[in-house]
Amino acid sequence: MATESRDYTEATETDRELTMSRAMVEAIAWEMRENDDVFYMGEDVADYGGIFSSTTGLLDEFGRDRVMDVPISETAYLGAAVGAAQAGMRPIAELMFVDFFGVAMDQIYNNMAKNTYMSGGSFSVPMVLTTAVGGTYNDAAQHSQTLYGTFAHLPGMKVVVPSTAYDAKGLMHSAIRDDDPVVYMFHKRLMGLGWMPSPSGPKTGVPEEDYAIPFGEADVKRPGDDVTVVTLGLHVHRAMEAAEQLDDDGIDAEVIDLRTLVPLDTETVLDSVRKTGKLLVVDEDYQSFGVTGEIIARAAEGALDDLSAVKRLAIPDVPIPYARSLEDEVNPGTDDIAAAVRELHE
Amino acid sequence: MTDAVDVNSADSWPDDADDVAEGYLANWFVREGSAVDAGETLCEIQVEKVSIDVAAPTTGTVAEIVVAEGDDFARGDVLARVQPSA
Repeated sequence: MATESRDYTEATETDRELTMSRAMVEAIAWEMRENDDVFYMGEDVADYGGIFSSTTGLLDEFGRDRVMDVPISETAYLGAAVGAAQAGMRPIAELMFVDFFGVAMDQIYNNMAKNTYMSGGSFSVPMVLTTAVGGTYNDAAQHSQTLYGTFAHLPGMKVVVPSTAYDAKGLMHSAIRDDDPVVYMFHKRLMGLGWMPSPSGPKTGVPEEDYAIPFGEADVKRPGDDVTVVTLGLHVHRAMEAAEQLDDDGIDAEVIDLRTLVPLDTETVLDSVRKTGKLLVVDEDYQSFGVTGEIIARAAEGALDDLSAVKRLAIPDVPIPYARSLEDEVNPGTDDIAAAVRELHE
Repeated sequence: MTDAVDVNSADSWPDDADDVAEGYLANWFVREGSAVDAGETLCEIQVEKVSIDVAAPTTGTVAEIVVAEGDDFARGDVLARVQPSA
C-alpha cells in the first residue's frame, strides 16, 4: 500500500506559500544569520540578486563581505570557494549556468569532490555549489542543459534537485549544514520568476521555521497502483499533470520525485516497482549513460522478478536545439509522459 | 466591526514609474483566509519588469483576493482586502 507523501501533506498545511526561489533564499538567510562562516559568492549575486533570483534580498541584509560578486572566471572563484571551505568557512558558490562547468571542472570534480579523500580525511570541504539548470525557454545548446548524469556519475559530490518550494528550503538547510560538498541544482523554470512563469506545482506552503530534509529520501508526490513514474526537477510537474489526465482514464500512476541523485533512494523506487511491475523514468538530461539507465539498472538489480516492463523518456543524444519547435520536440512533455504510461499499462 | 483594509496597488508603485499605468500580478503568497502580519509580503507585482513585494497594511486575515495571479491591473486598482484582527 503506497504511503501518502508526508512532506507533500506538510507543505499544504501552512498559511503562506512561497516560490521556489524565495524558499531557497529564506534558508540561506537563516543559515547566514546563524553562522558567520556561511557566505555566498557568484556572478551577479550581490546587487542583481542572482539572475534567477537565487539571492534576492541577501545583499541588503548581509553586505558585500558576505554576498560577493565575482569576476567572470569560474575556475578562479570556484577554486577560491574550495580553499575557503578547506580553511574552515562554509561557502555557497554559484555556477550561474550548469553548462559553464566545463571551464572549472578540475576545481569541481578533482578538488572539491576529492580533496577530503585524498587528504586521508585531514579536512573536509563543507561547500555548496548552487547552479541553475534546465531549458524550455529557447536558450539553446550551451544554456539549457541539466547535466544531472554528469554530476551524479562522478564520485565525491552529493547532488540535490528540488522540485518544490517546500523541498527547496529543507534541502538547502541540509546542504549548508553538510560538511561535505553538495551540488544543489535548481531548475530555472521552477524558480517562480516573473519573466519565466513556472507551472503551478513548485509554489507550495513553506513553514516559517527552519527544517532539514535529509538527503537520500525520495518523495512519493502521488501514490498509485498501476505504473511507477520516477523523475526529478521540472518533470515532476509534467508527470503530475500527466497523472491527472491518466486518472480520467482509470490509470493510476505513482509519481516519485527523487529529490536527491546522490545519495539515491533506491528503496523507494524498488518498493514501487515491486507493487506495479512497470517503470517509466523521465529525465531532462541526455538519454545515454545517464539517470534513466541508472534507475532502470537498479530496478533490475533489486526487483527483477517483479519488473515486467520498462521505458525511459529523456533528451535524445543531441545538443539542445534553439528553434522552439525543435526544443519542444526533444524535451519530454506531459503528453509524452501520458503516452508512455499508457504503453506500459497495456 | 472594522472594515477590511484595501491593499491598493498605487501604494507600492515604484518611484521612477510615474508614467506607467499598468502592472502584472506575478505571484500570490497567501490565500483567502490566510493569517498575515503587518509588513508581511502578500504578493509580488511587476511594473515594467521591475518586481515589487507588496506588504500587508495591517495584521489580520486576507478577506479577499481581488486581482488573480497572472492578471494585469491598473495603477490604483485594489489587489486584495485584509480584515484587521481585533
